[in-house]
Amino acid sequence: MDLLPLLHDAICGGLAAAGFGVLFNVSFRGLPWCAASGALALAVRTIALGEGLKLEAASFIAALAVGIVVQLLPSGIGVSANALHVAGCIPMIPGGFATKAILGLFAITTQGSMVPNETLITALENSLRVMFTVGALGTGLAIPVFLLRPRLIKRAQY
Amino acid sequence: MEPSITGPQIVLQRNAKRHSETTLAVCDVAHEKRDALESRMSSPTETRGHESLEDIAMVALEFARLLMEAGASARHVDEITTQVAAGLGSERVDLRIGYASLVITVGVGTNAVTRMRKVAALGVNESLYRRLSEAAARIGQGGFTVSKARTELTQHLEDSRRHPDWVIAVAVGVACAAFGRLMGVDWAGVGPILVAAAFAQMVRRQLALHNINVFISTAVVAFLGSSLCGFAARWVGSHTVPTDMIATVLLLVPGVPSFNAQFDILEGRPSLGSARAVWVMVMLIFMTLGVWFAQGVLGEGR
Repeated sequence: MDLLPLLHDAICGGLAAAGFGVLFNVSFRGLPWCAASGALALAVRTIALGEGLKLEAASFIAALAVGIVVQLLPSGIGVSANALHVAGCIPMIPGGFATKAILGLFAITTQGSMVPNETLITALENSLRVMFTVGALGTGLAIPVFLLRPRLIKRAQY
Repeated sequence: MEPSITGPQIVLQRNAKRHSETTLAVCDVAHEKRDALESRMSSPTETRGHESLEDIAMVALEFARLLMEAGASARHVDEITTQVAAGLGSERVDLRIGYASLVITVGVGTNAVTRMRKVAALGVNESLYRRLSEAAARIGQGGFTVSKARTELTQHLEDSRRHPDWVIAVAVGVACAAFGRLMGVDWAGVGPILVAAAFAQMVRRQLALHNINVFISTAVVAFLGSSLCGFAARWVGSHTVPTDMIATVLLLVPGVPSFNAQFDILEGRPSLGSARAVWVMVMLIFMTLGVWFAQGVLGEGR
């Protein structure tokens, strides 16, 4: 696999994650961890896409990788596991596809019965891609949390 | 002959003045004999040692409210609130987490109190979330009084500061430019995205400070950011103007609520998760509306 696109995506993923870390009020000490999380996510996704996987499957694997690595990190690194999950996977949220999907739906309503099949199919395809990708990201992050995270709090029972 | 009391006794007390404005009502349920009930009516909250169940419930609710407003998922809110209440002496804790309100029941022995609290607009504040988690861990180890826990909470609120607005604006600009590259915009489009997204974030902050409705604010910010980016991208000769305009507004995509919605549903809280998901969808529609108007102004993407 060509290293240049991989490096490009990893750097862009790291920058996006760190930028959103600032927006989420992560401390400056925790920002490098956010950047690392985003870079890891995008690197894994780019490799998976390069292996011929679909976007949804590649996003799932990348989220799973981030989820596992974050669970294994020690506490006291200046940022919570929850924030690292979100900051790392934010660059993979298909916001662009979501916008295109809704714009496509707007186009369908404005053109009525004259709408070309291509517009309809593209809007539907983008909508489904958003749903499945976001679902894949959430599931990929949730699995390590459910399997690896020890129960810290014992509930008192009646 | 005094009648015996066998069923649950419900005492409703409207004591909003005594507590806070957001305390809606107080509902005490006692499964006790009459003498115990009379004792409760004369002293509305049960005590264990020096701590009142009333006070424990209110401090725990304050933690829960702040956690919700800081963007925590329902599981984290539940765990941390339980930790606080248990650390302050409650033997059992039950928390109901709604999108706009919280209800907690804390109890010791056969005594219990239930309290309710409103939740304001949900945002994301990782620094506050982490401080609250750490404070809850300390309180959960025991040895804290309610007043000491309140002091700790106040201290964390005072210490938790946002980054300066200009830092956030620049960071958001860089993040959106990076997003743009991931979406395939050309290098000429990176500068306009960075500047327009930073400008959009500053406008968003000002609208938030003026308490403008979040959905209206989203549409306005998307329109302004997208328009500015579109004009600038054309001026610098970008060949990916429609994508540039979309990349600029990605700061508005509600990523944290969309993840929380899924986590909540997966963890058995479908009503809260659904509420969050609906909110995310409406935000995306308003965001796209702003881009749609901007594309109309520039004649792009049609």
